[in-house]
Amino acid sequence: MSVLGFAILAGLVLAGALVVVLAENIVHAAVALAFTFFFVAGLYVLLGSPLLAVIQFAVNAAAIPILTLFIIMTTQSRRVRPAAGVFYLVAGVLAVVFLAGLWAYLGAPQEAFRPLSPEGLGARLLTVTLLPFEVASVLLLLAMVGAVVLARRREA
Amino acid sequence: MITLGHFLALSAVLFAIGLFGVITRRNLIAVLMSVEILLNAAAIAFASVAAYKDPVFFSGQLFALFVMVVAAAELSIGFAILLNVFRHTGSAATDVVEEMRG
Repeated sequence: MSVLGFAILAGLVLAGALVVVLAENIVHAAVALAFTFFFVAGLYVLLGSPLLAVIQFAVNAAAIPILTLFIIMTTQSRRVRPAAGVFYLVAGVLAVVFLAGLWAYLGAPQEAFRPLSPEGLGARLLTVTLLPFEVASVLLLLAMVGAVVLARRREA
Repeated sequence: MITLGHFLALSAVLFAIGLFGVITRRNLIAVLMSVEILLNAAAIAFASVAAYKDPVFFSGQLFALFVMVVAAAELSIGFAILLNVFRHTGSAATDVVEEMRG
């Protein structure tokens, strides 16, 4: 729980995200996405939630970049053309406006941190939030079937 | 000592970076990757608030879990649609889907 660890992880996450957003080679962006999510898993460990960290690692840091790379190779879109300057202007203004909200947190009260127990998280997941849990599994099934149907090659 | 403000600030900066990417990218794959960054920023905010403010019920961390589920579902459907766009137009850029402009 050192500030140094948090600073290193946060710096790596932000650097990875910047590469994802700015890289001209889209393969580099996909690999940077994997690293970004890997370091976000480290942040979850820091937050005392190993369950979230493992799921983040397995789903977001492994499965999603691989799927992304598959799609990149399928569509053969290795590079991205730069957008018009207007878009950069609008995006920059929006990002700065959003970041202005940061000032609200600077005066937040300083609180001590208590790590959580993953046992409680799992027990709560399967009792109180059992219905959303089941709905989420049905959603995943629907997404899987929907993706297969949408991506299928149509004959005739 | 790491405070809640640290995590929320990181989440806000990450969200701003993702927002920048969603607007400036012209390749649909890159746009979807930026959307993933947005969803992760939201999940970090949920998980950190839960860790600091709700150490008994973990509601925010469960919410972060469901955000990941929705992100995975969104990405798979998004890529399937992208594959169809690619087959129809031969390109994965955002400006080839102008037929729906209105």
